[in-house]
Amino acid sequence: MVIDDKILVWRFNRGSKDALRRIYEKYKDDLLGLAITLLRDRSLAEDVVHDVFVSFAGATGTFRLSGTLKGYLSTCVANGARDRNRLKSGSNVGLEAAEAVDFDCDGPLEGAARCEEAQRLDNLLARLPYEQREVIVLHLHQEMRFREVAQALGVSINTAQSRYRYGMDKLRSIFNNTVTQ
Amino acid sequence: MKSTENMEQFVRDAKPHVTTGESMDRRVLSDSFAAMDERLAAVRPGPPTKILASRIMRFAAAAVIIIAMVGLLIVYKCPRQQVANQKVLKIAKSPAEMLTAWSLMTAYRHGGIEALDNQCDKAFEMSGQQRDTLNMKELLAEIEIDLERTEL
Repeated sequence: MVIDDKILVWRFNRGSKDALRRIYEKYKDDLLGLAITLLRDRSLAEDVVHDVFVSFAGATGTFRLSGTLKGYLSTCVANGARDRNRLKSGSNVGLEAAEAVDFDCDGPLEGAARCEEAQRLDNLLARLPYEQREVIVLHLHQEMRFREVAQALGVSINTAQSRYRYGMDKLRSIFNNTVTQ
Repeated sequence: MKSTENMEQFVRDAKPHVTTGESMDRRVLSDSFAAMDERLAAVRPGPPTKILASRIMRFAAAAVIIIAMVGLLIVYKCPRQQVANQKVLKIAKSPAEMLTAWSLMTAYRHGGIEALDNQCDKAFEMSGQQRDTLNMKELLAEIEIDLERTEL
């Protein structure tokens, strides 16, 4: 997987459009999902993914990959989403402002159940401050280590871990409240 | 009540599955390709980069450098005079051949009067004879005798 990415990056650096297309095809859904979870707005999320790939394409020939490609692209999307979120008024989406995001729910039964879970999680995450949501999503959905998350967000590992802990505590308490209600 | 571990598992499992639309794919790829073309046009490689980019050209460049270095070494290690003298000595194997007009002229052209002198010394050395030392007066007298003979 990692070797595959290294080969793709090597070809991409030599100006291969096919390599760029493959990279896009490989990570587009994952990155769009990340952007949607962070921004809770599909059109904004699409813009972020678009900008990330255009800027990535502009680095051909000089791009150097230090970690994983998925981690790098996820970091770019997270940074782009943070910038958009700052621009958006009322960045920390409250309960009132939280709108349901449409997820793709294919398949009759299993798909519907998964979709319901995703909607539920989306509603829960919407109540968290943006910084906590960001750390939780990067760590649990994008499978990034705290060290990578901290590096991506420009904070210390301790800060990233404490944001995660507070976020998870809050998420659990909101979840339990909604269940008991 | 959900524990922390359960909550983590719930968040992992409930990861939303989204797919990009066809229009988005088209937009992203066309803009990305345009950005890529722009970048490639901006960093179009110069001749040195082009040479280094091709493996064959790299070998050829390395060979040229090595040949040039060997040539320089030969020139500096063996100055022109020595090369010329050696050349004449190699061609002319006997003392008689070494003292022909052609051999002496070649030596003179390559190394001047010193090379000519060296070649004569070498020829005498090979024949086992000692070159007579002439002073200037004797030399001039010999030339005069020769001139008188030719006039007669």
